[in-house]
Amino acid sequence: MQFIKFTQPSGRFAVPSAQFGGRLGVASLENELDWLFGTALTRLAGPSRGVQFPVDHYEDKENTYVRAELPGVDRESINVEFVDGTLTIQASRKAKPGEGESTVSLSRQVGISDGIEADKVSAAYVNGVITVTLPRKEEAKPRKINVSVN
Amino acid sequence: MSFFNSLIPSLNGECAVAETPATRRPRYEITETPEGYDVEVSLPGVSKEGLEITDEAGELRINAKPARELPEGRVLVHGETSDAAFVLLLDHDNTIVPESTQADLRDGVLHLKLSKVESAKPRKIAVN
Repeated sequence: MQFIKFTQPSGRFAVPSAQFGGRLGVASLENELDWLFGTALTRLAGPSRGVQFPVDHYEDKENTYVRAELPGVDRESINVEFVDGTLTIQASRKAKPGEGESTVSLSRQVGISDGIEADKVSAAYVNGVITVTLPRKEEAKPRKINVSVN
Repeated sequence: MSFFNSLIPSLNGECAVAETPATRRPRYEITETPEGYDVEVSLPGVSKEGLEITDEAGELRINAKPARELPEGRVLVHGETSDAAFVLLLDHDNTIVPESTQADLRDGVLHLKLSKVESAKPRKIAVN
């Protein structure tokens, strides 16, 4: 029998295992190193109230977006706050069977540049991915200015 | 561009492995029961349409592609996650019944229920 119980540390996403077929490619190694470097830098950024997770930051003309992969968290536990230019995403996930009734807390803070309409921030959780939309104030949106040259 | 690749540009998908699409192994956990195995695989961003599960020659293969096309005008400012497809290969040595596999994808987590073949189930042996 080759099935082996393999429990990952909390908060990890792409962890290779040589035990299960041993198919570790270059891409997996890159993911692992990315995670290690990214996490190390993230942890320097400030205090945390739970296991940190990676985020992506996008922008368009109207909004700023923060995206995070949070598969399998309890929807009711997701908490998104935007206070004084800092976005905080918190969630919790039930521990695996055999680990008791405890939960794993996940948390990440992201600094967002000024000019966000705080009362219009929204979030959507689809397929285990949360996307927070932060609309920009009118004065913070890029504007095209026509300058006449004489 | 990923953080690691930004440090070492030569690994930015333009080396000798560039022709092979980048994939990543998802986080997963397997729990054995007397009747079979419960498998949980984290596949954030994957919908049913992007998921393919096959079983062939004693190997269960999960291919999953996250849906991550950016709307027009949206640009990545800072990225810490990967958009590579997930690939997970599990060798079971033909000790499961593929036809009875149950799969459920919910909130980015795939739940698989695999049944053992009769010969792989634990048997109680009577002692005379």
